[in-house]
Amino acid sequence: MRDLKHLIYFEDLLQEANNSLVKQAKAEGKRAIGYTCYFMPEVLLDLEGCFGVRLRAPRCTSPDIATYYMSSRTCHYGRSLLERALEGGYNFLDAQMATETCTVTCRFQEHLQMMDVIQNPDFFCEFTDVPFKKTENSYLHYRKQLQAHVLDKLSEKFGIDTSDAALLRAIEQHNEVCRLIKEIGAHRKEENPNITGYEFHVIQLVSLVCPKYLILPYLRETAEELRTREPEPKPWFRCKVVLSGSENDDPGFTQLIESCGAMVVADRYCYGSLPGREEIAVAAGQSPLDAIARHYIDTSMCPRYMEQHVMRERKQYLADLAKEYNADGIIVESNKFCEYWSYERTIDTIILNRDFGIPVCSIEKEYINNASGQLRTRFQAFIESIEIKKIQEGK
Amino acid sequence: MGKKDIKKKLRDFIHGKPHGERRLGELYQPKTGLYKHREWRGIKDTMYYFNRIWLYNYGMMVYDIMRYGGPVLFAKGVWRYRWIGQTYLTVMHWFDRGFEGLRGPALRASAWHYRAMTNETIRQFMRMFAADANLHGGEHNELWHRTPAHDETVAGAIFYPWRDVMDDVPLQMVPYFVTCHVNCHTVLNYIDAAQSIGLPGDPCPMCQAEAGLSILDDMPDYFPFLVTSNEACDGSVGTSILQDWAYDKPLFAMPQPMQFDDPLVQEHCRREIEECWKFIEEQSGIPFNYDCFVKYIERYNELTRFEREKWDVAANTPYYPINGVAQALYRIYYSQDGWRDIWAKTDKKVKKIMYRCVEKKINCFPETRHRVLAWSCAPLYYSNWCTWAYNCWGLNVIMNMDSLMFDIDIRTDSYEHLMEDFALYNEWAPMRRMAVGGHKHIFEIWENMERFHCDMVMMYDQVQCKGMQGIVGMFEDEFRKRDIHAIWMPHALPDSRTVSRMEIRRIINDYMFTVMHEEPLDPSLIDFDDSMSW
Amino acid sequence: MKKGKKLLMAAAGGLGALYAALFAVFYFDLDGKLLFYVVEPFLKKHYDKMPRRDITKMRYDMDKYGAYEYKTE
Repeated sequence: MRDLKHLIYFEDLLQEANNSLVKQAKAEGKRAIGYTCYFMPEVLLDLEGCFGVRLRAPRCTSPDIATYYMSSRTCHYGRSLLERALEGGYNFLDAQMATETCTVTCRFQEHLQMMDVIQNPDFFCEFTDVPFKKTENSYLHYRKQLQAHVLDKLSEKFGIDTSDAALLRAIEQHNEVCRLIKEIGAHRKEENPNITGYEFHVIQLVSLVCPKYLILPYLRETAEELRTREPEPKPWFRCKVVLSGSENDDPGFTQLIESCGAMVVADRYCYGSLPGREEIAVAAGQSPLDAIARHYIDTSMCPRYMEQHVMRERKQYLADLAKEYNADGIIVESNKFCEYWSYERTIDTIILNRDFGIPVCSIEKEYINNASGQLRTRFQAFIESIEIKKIQEGK
Repeated sequence: MGKKDIKKKLRDFIHGKPHGERRLGELYQPKTGLYKHREWRGIKDTMYYFNRIWLYNYGMMVYDIMRYGGPVLFAKGVWRYRWIGQTYLTVMHWFDRGFEGLRGPALRASAWHYRAMTNETIRQFMRMFAADANLHGGEHNELWHRTPAHDETVAGAIFYPWRDVMDDVPLQMVPYFVTCHVNCHTVLNYIDAAQSIGLPGDPCPMCQAEAGLSILDDMPDYFPFLVTSNEACDGSVGTSILQDWAYDKPLFAMPQPMQFDDPLVQEHCRREIEECWKFIEEQSGIPFNYDCFVKYIERYNELTRFEREKWDVAANTPYYPINGVAQALYRIYYSQDGWRDIWAKTDKKVKKIMYRCVEKKINCFPETRHRVLAWSCAPLYYSNWCTWAYNCWGLNVIMNMDSLMFDIDIRTDSYEHLMEDFALYNEWAPMRRMAVGGHKHIFEIWENMERFHCDMVMMYDQVQCKGMQGIVGMFEDEFRKRDIHAIWMPHALPDSRTVSRMEIRRIINDYMFTVMHEEPLDPSLIDFDDSMSW
Repeated sequence: MKKGKKLLMAAAGGLGALYAALFAVFYFDLDGKLLFYVVEPFLKKHYDKMPRRDITKMRYDMDKYGAYEYKTE
């Protein structure tokens, strides 16, 4: 396949949190708002006058000082974020919109709140309480929280316009990003896709870490390019897989899987697009904030949801994804020390295989993995097992 | 033997050896933790221990079995469930380990706490067995329909509106929590079971063990529905997933808000509770009884008031007659369980002892060198470390973090006030109140050090608790800044294989020798092997 | 009368002996030793070989429990 025109640029944007587009937006007087979790609606952080940056700590392999603060027994992702913060990598942030949605990212954000880490006099860190269920009570609670801890704070501290009209404009922009990412991602459903899982991973990530209004032209162009991009005449992969699991903002990991011969056709993990890139619908007469609150609660498939039917539906969702994207198997990953996904991975590994007949490869990974020989061996063995299964089924 | 020696021996026989001369470590058989012989505490205290603790409690254990369902039901339960069979009979050794070296009022008051916990434990597991379909040929009897289950981290108070007609029994309080203290061998089977189906070894071992109970099919089928919680951590949420699969019964998740300081979360929390009540009504077919709710809340308030009296005596006098382990376990047990007769009866007895100590100015821990505040969550397999630490080093644990939970007087003058306070009560649950409820709360340690006049911290370092591990550095910084002596005690909650009891003692010994430059009160306790002990 | 007294003495003696025996059990931790060396190993063996349900074979229905929605009047 011909290289995507902007791929190298996108890769470059992912080299550090304070990338060139972030710098440009800051230079234009916009406020940079950090966040870590899907439950902090990025659309609210992309109101005019500010922009959201979902935090990453690329190339952080040895978070030494953060390990002093958070010990070596917490998730590498949380520690890497703190390390990067301590190194000064997030000094461009004007605020951190925090959520206590998993313990270690919460602790990371508490460090930002308590210690003088971010060298920016305007900086503040504000927590939003996120419910664990998809009920009316949750919607109501979440909406109140978003109003008080996000909108009111943005307005009060930075004078951001948080009116319904402003929210609707932000939703419009957000929906365009979602439409484009969905369109780009849909190519992965094709029998011989004209995009790799790695390329998509990079595109999805830049849409999270760059100011939307600056990345949109590139996304539009890339979507256009993909409408006519020719795939390899013969598929380059041996099988297709869904990649599911905990936090994963390392395209190198997707690359590692693909280098073993499995194309990642669906990205159902934190920082992925499934779910995450669904458009927000505002019904007639509905307040935009209500629509946003409901949207994020409803679309999330996070294993922190505790309702009985929701816990079970997540398995069905994963199986449906595998079907929709014509995947031959599922790789379920969890970051070491991620408790939610440790449990979810355990049950997914058994149920998806047993009840849906989908081969599952279950792995535990670190934050940065691309050099892992062990994982490579695991993936190769998994791919071979899928091939053997296909041969046995006469496919 | 000179006359002086005979006199001394006679004095030791009558009164027991004074603290500095005791050699409690020599009483142990190597590895097992069994005693070559039990401690001689002087005539009065030995006979008290024999008659009023050992004989009395063995007798009461039989009596409790008889009154709560009878020996046949008990035997069936023992034969079916590992956690009861391996644990029940070793109860008196749990008493022994907790009370080594205790004398006088401290021995008496602490023993009453243990007796209450034993009674409530028997009541709970006998109720489980009586309702258990596994022990009744798969039949769901009348009791099964009237015994709802809940995570042990869901406050029993949630079920007060039905206490007169149903009897809620927490899923893990006895099979997991109690067994860890009494016989730490059993829980290892459950941890291993959780890992045997692919769960990694690093999530909180408490949650692993709770999941393991269901995986190993070692939970009685005694309930028609259950209420779960996100308390205390991400691992608890994860455990619900496996429990739901294993039990396959209607489940209501009642999460507590994480940011409980935020006034905006209170309404949400309150509605969660009300939704839970609605669920219980629907599942049980029994309507919510407000009067019953108020009745038990008011009774429980009495317990809270006495608890505060206890804290006051502990904080401001040397006359507090309850040792560290009895204080910690009793408080967490009854506050989580909610009001029961036995707690009120016990408090009455303890109150009498405590008042007497204050009136007569009896210093129950006269060899106290340091007043210790124990912070974060304790090792369940070595909750009696504080007994050892006092005997060996004079470290007297005055208060611990988990005792400070649920500290609220719930108003009952109106439904609004009641619910306002009850929502808070629900949020101030163990571990959530401080450990994972935001850093502001975990750092309440400093004001509690002042409040309880402590000069030292035993900082529990649960190596698999992400919430606590995620904040260790800030504690280190603060300890240094405030010039506080803090000993970090690594442990893995119920899993004695990760950090052994011997290793815990070694860490404390090292600190006391090298940093504090102190000599032990009882050198025989410095180094002994209890690796196989219950 | 004599017989009654004798019986009473015997009972008191028996009780006294029982009390002394129990004290010996207590003092020398014979209860602990019996449990540690005999009872627990026996029970462990029993529990270890007990047939148990395999959770991984249990059904896990996706739609068994519909959405539970609280409705306020």
